[in-house]
Amino acid sequence: MEKKRLIEDELIETKNRSSIFTKLYISVLFIVIICEFIGIKKIAVGPGQIVLLPMLYAVIIGMVITPDLLGKPVKVLRTLISDEVMELAGTMVMFALLPLGVKYGTLVGPNIVKVVQAGPAFLLQELGNLGTVFIGLPLALCLGLKREAVGATVSICREPTLGVIGERYGINSPEGTGVLGTYMMGTIFGTIFFGLLGSFAPSTGIHPLALAMASGMGSGSMMTAASSALAETVPAMKDTILAYAATSNMLTGVTGLYCVVFIALPLSNYLYKKLAPKFDKKGGHADAN
Amino acid sequence: MLTRTINQSKIMIVIGMMILIGQRIAQMINHKSVTPIGQMVPGILAILLVCMLSLKIKELLPNLKFPAFAWATLIALILSMPFMPTAKIFLQYTNNVNFLATTTPILAFAGISVGNKIDQLKKISWKLVIISIAVFIGTYFGSALVAQMILKMQGII
Repeated sequence: MEKKRLIEDELIETKNRSSIFTKLYISVLFIVIICEFIGIKKIAVGPGQIVLLPMLYAVIIGMVITPDLLGKPVKVLRTLISDEVMELAGTMVMFALLPLGVKYGTLVGPNIVKVVQAGPAFLLQELGNLGTVFIGLPLALCLGLKREAVGATVSICREPTLGVIGERYGINSPEGTGVLGTYMMGTIFGTIFFGLLGSFAPSTGIHPLALAMASGMGSGSMMTAASSALAETVPAMKDTILAYAATSNMLTGVTGLYCVVFIALPLSNYLYKKLAPKFDKKGGHADAN
Repeated sequence: MLTRTINQSKIMIVIGMMILIGQRIAQMINHKSVTPIGQMVPGILAILLVCMLSLKIKELLPNLKFPAFAWATLIALILSMPFMPTAKIFLQYTNNVNFLATTTPILAFAGISVGNKIDQLKKISWKLVIISIAVFIGTYFGSALVAQMILKMQGII
């Protein structure tokens, strides 16, 4: 813990590092300007519509200009976005999230009475997060994964889950590989995926307020993508949607870790024991620990 | 502690400026009425103040695994509850900063920060790609269906 803080302090130290900061700030400002100029685009698809928000372009442009993609052919970009710049960008996400956190608070505060009235739904929908195990685990076993399946499907695998699995099984274990896989997929494609899902979900017939609660999954950026897209699709309920999503996300932040430790992981291991032999004729060894 | 606070403040101020620039552009291209700078600046300053406060609270309570983001939401929530004396003035200022404008810089940073993981991701088997999509859908619709049921029982929807 102490070590991590030191690293973060070093990262945000501006002395002798101003060129890294400048490069990052210029790149981000450039991205922001382009994205805001493109603006919100709505595309009708079948019964629903897909809402493309500036933040969606931002994550894509951000990824594209890095060394792994456009940086390969375009040398200038490689000098602009160095490894140090990318490392700093990771820390910056936490800081950049804070103003959004404040805006979310100002949406929940005035609606606090409505939120409290919906209290039981907020608490119980947390159990819905176990959908990851019920849908994911059988599919993972079906595709031939072994213990990786437990790590990959125990939750949507944000940092707290990474910590729990890493501590219990070791991050280099099969379970660790699984959890890392889902974590990386979420980090790279989570906002894009949930941005699209959030705008399309109302056409399933599920009430926007239920979808708003579902948007709070324990990741600030995914919740933002899902709930803002949802709010743009159902503008009449915008404030309540954003307030519900923020509250749900806060609750997941508090309960999520305990839910993984005491419910999701035991459930996942139990299901693995029951299901693995059915998928593996050689008698899949279901050693839980 | 002091250097850290200064460094954090510098970062927050730059992020604040990016939000305002983004908001101004968005308002211009959407032909909406432009928020005057004299109202935008106090708005973002109020927000940044809460941000700094949440960073400090997180540092003072390291054993509570409550992220600064959640503290920021909680502080702003308390300040803006209808029966709080702070509600009117706090909302009046923060309303001058557009919600969506605060999201674009976050994702720009996020995009850049995962840029070097794309090659790594290619090495992960395609199976994990399918599974993670099932996981995303599972958590979203799992929660939505439970919420739908309870909200119906409560008569809220």
